[in-house]
Amino acid sequence: MLKEVTLTTDRIRNFSIIAHIDHGKSTLADRLLEYTHTISERERKEQILDFMDLEREKGITIKSKAVRLYYQARDGKEYLLNLIDTPGHVDFSYEVSRSLAACEGALLVVDASQGIQAQTIANIHLAQKNDLRIIPIVNKIDLSTANPRQVISSLRELLAISEEEIILASAKEGIGTVDILEAIVKKIPPPKGNPDNPLRALIFDSVYNSYQGTIVYVRIVDGNIKPGMIIQTMVNLKKYEVAEVGIFRPQLQPCQQLSAGEVGYIKAGFKNIQDTQVGDTITDFYNPANTSLPGYKKMNPLVFCSLYPVDNNDYEDLKSALDKLKLNDSSLYSEPETSQALGFGFRCGFLGLLHMEIVQERLEREYNLNLIATTPSVMYRIIKKDGNIIQVSNPSSFPAKMEIEKIEEPYVAMEIITPNQYIGGIMELVQDRRGIFKNMEYLGENKVKLNYELPLNEIIMDFYDKLKSRSSGYASLDYEFLGYRPSDLIRVDILVNYELVDALSFIVFKEKAYYRAKKIVEKLKEIIPRQLYEVPIQAAIERKVIARETIRALKKDVLAKCYGGDITRKRKLLEKQKEGKKRMKKLGRVEIPQEAFLGILKID
Amino acid sequence: MNLGLYLHFPFCKTKCFYCDFNSYPLKNIEDALPYISALHQEIILYTKKIPKGILKTIYLGGGTPTILPAEIINDTLEICRENFLTNPDMEITVEANPGTLDKRKLKVLLSAGINRLSIGAQSLRDPELKKMGRIHTKKDIINTYQEAREIGFNNINLDIIFALPKQTLIEFQETIEEVCKLKPDHLSLYNLTLEEGTLFFKWWKEGKLNLPSEELEYTMFKWAISFLKKHGFEHYEISNFALPSKQSRHNKIYWDNQPYLGIGAGASSFLGGYRYKNYAHPQKYIQELEKGRFPVEEGERLSLKKRMIETIILGLRRKEGISYQKFKSRFKLDLDKMFNLQIDKLVNQKLLKKDKERIQLTFRGLFLANYVFREFID
Repeated sequence: MLKEVTLTTDRIRNFSIIAHIDHGKSTLADRLLEYTHTISERERKEQILDFMDLEREKGITIKSKAVRLYYQARDGKEYLLNLIDTPGHVDFSYEVSRSLAACEGALLVVDASQGIQAQTIANIHLAQKNDLRIIPIVNKIDLSTANPRQVISSLRELLAISEEEIILASAKEGIGTVDILEAIVKKIPPPKGNPDNPLRALIFDSVYNSYQGTIVYVRIVDGNIKPGMIIQTMVNLKKYEVAEVGIFRPQLQPCQQLSAGEVGYIKAGFKNIQDTQVGDTITDFYNPANTSLPGYKKMNPLVFCSLYPVDNNDYEDLKSALDKLKLNDSSLYSEPETSQALGFGFRCGFLGLLHMEIVQERLEREYNLNLIATTPSVMYRIIKKDGNIIQVSNPSSFPAKMEIEKIEEPYVAMEIITPNQYIGGIMELVQDRRGIFKNMEYLGENKVKLNYELPLNEIIMDFYDKLKSRSSGYASLDYEFLGYRPSDLIRVDILVNYELVDALSFIVFKEKAYYRAKKIVEKLKEIIPRQLYEVPIQAAIERKVIARETIRALKKDVLAKCYGGDITRKRKLLEKQKEGKKRMKKLGRVEIPQEAFLGILKID
Repeated sequence: MNLGLYLHFPFCKTKCFYCDFNSYPLKNIEDALPYISALHQEIILYTKKIPKGILKTIYLGGGTPTILPAEIINDTLEICRENFLTNPDMEITVEANPGTLDKRKLKVLLSAGINRLSIGAQSLRDPELKKMGRIHTKKDIINTYQEAREIGFNNINLDIIFALPKQTLIEFQETIEEVCKLKPDHLSLYNLTLEEGTLFFKWWKEGKLNLPSEELEYTMFKWAISFLKKHGFEHYEISNFALPSKQSRHNKIYWDNQPYLGIGAGASSFLGGYRYKNYAHPQKYIQELEKGRFPVEEGERLSLKKRMIETIILGLRRKEGISYQKFKSRFKLDLDKMFNLQIDKLVNQKLLKKDKERIQLTFRGLFLANYVFREFID
């Protein structure tokens, strides 16, 4: 079954699958793999291409993966198909764009009952930017809530195509699998590159594992690559000797060489993935190409938070865990930091909120760390009166008000797609978040596309949840970074028992400062358990207190009856309470639960 | 081996709104018979396991054991006497609810050897009794109490619950004053706790239960302590008050962390360093015994450290606290060396007091006992 054949470039098809979250991308990939016997039914897990546990749980693909399929088409010829799996979330849109750049075509999967979503449109734009041939697929047609007619008409409009080009499928039931494979062969053009030109290979992913070091995933655009060659990355200008090249079946399988048009991997003693960044071009050191492939961008983190171990003794463990994660995640940024309240920790930067959540979860789960994560923040640009410009993401490092000439904050362009009836609630939400209305467009299917510009700061905490709850889960969003704009921002400090808790300081739009401060001290009053004495909680701007609550002293906390001698039950109850206490951070005399540090912005 | 014996009767007339005890409404007495024979079976099974068990106390709890005919209770006690060594003057307590006893029944119980009666009064105000889902009135309580006295019970406990929904200080005081007029020998005073699965819990979650503030609860408890003291009661355990020489011997076994055997559905035992628990559901309990097996669902062997911690958190419930000497003779280790950090911290916070002989909760510590216990928990 696993035969290796050399096929000329006209028999190669490189494609991706793009879809809004949960529209069935991974299930479709499974069907294609099974149908082409790339993997037997027995071997398949729920979603074959998603290797990481977290991906399976969150139902999303984080790292892009690739696999080679052989397909005997109806025309009697055998084809080599390279499927490149892409991350399905807005945080990873750069990685998606590089994966797409490695392809000539894309399967666009749209859920038959949910229809077009924000990511669907974002994906179409990305695919079109990369000149990909799009094969639209309406998936989940077996569902009772499916409405394929409507989805077909929107797709026809969006892509300017005829109905015949749209494939109806149910990946779950295996309906449409052959039609899709045939469409890949017939409609997606073979790769164009020239095997005789100097080597140009696009890096679309790189992974690290402790046994084999860094493995780089590439699409060979021109030339060829084989073991023993000396290669160089064209942006980072690092030099390596190729140790091994190979293909994905889906496990790594070495081969003699990779040629123009092919997708595969390279091992070459790469030190770390920061040196082989996604989007960079690999060339032959002794016969270099003139220009690198277009599209490389250095990814800058957009969302920041600080991570501290609950137990200060775990600092070294946190440090080494972050280092290990960075080996496999070039967009994760971290830098040591000290907080008066929390001790030694790290300021970390992420591509977005989901990325942040995934990193935190992996640290807690895979490295067994007990962490305090501070409220997420964005990177502010501060122009000081002395003319210096500084970038600050941590509220506690904000300069004093008198030193500041101007503060700028990052804005994003946001696209929201929602069924008509939710427009009112959504507009209200976005306006409340300082959104600037730009455009509204009807998409058919009873759907509307809204365009806004708004500060990133306003969406990093609970915007997505709010959007979902105001649209009964139907609205979807996509956003991209626009640039920095001046804003009237101010820092609010929180004092617990008259002591400043630097990790609780936050930056807020001035007009909202009082309201927010009041809500936050109220919230902290709820979260912080009562102590043996009275504890005041204050919010202050430049030492001037603007809101206050008092946590009254604990007066009575007694166990009731030990019923029938069931002492175990009582002891376990006490143990559970004690466990909760261990997860608290002692600040001065007061114990503050971890949720206080994150929960602070989750207020209305 | 000296033991306390607990016998569980999981039956009651109707379920009270706050109750999460292992108990089920009983329609016909006949429905209880398979359970009773399983209970007897379990007693007999233990004779082989602990042939030298000497019973110090017997406690019949529930549910409401007294909804059963007095003869069944008598038979059960007979079986205990046949299968264990007993002491002629051992304390035998039965829990009773007002309205489930008449003079005849009381007489039979007394002649069966029961010498302590624990009456579930809960409140002496009719509106409160109704709100709790109790099926009796204040009048029933007083009648049952006085009949028991007439028949010759000279050791009677009343259970009272406080911090009831909407209860005011004056209303609570009324109950305690009424209690003192009756002159019981013993009083158990518990604050209402909301347990999952009860109607009260459900109402509380729905925001329909208006509970007194912690402040008020504190005031009620503080007032009761001083009021009961004036009426001759010794506050000998966090929730328990007794006239001289009328402290509960059975409960003292728990607080001293001494061995006890629990028989019946869901009953807990502490024997040979093991804590374990029977199947709670009567049907499952009966099935196991029909197969001739011990109906034990789960248990654990306590490490030395855990045994010490339990000894501390149970012992501190008692007014006399824990004596260094008793601790040392039991564990061969010094209490003040093993736990000096916790003890010093709590003494500093004025929750614990220590002298040359013992550690005890302070008056303040009494109200914050959970806080104190958590310090000792691992």
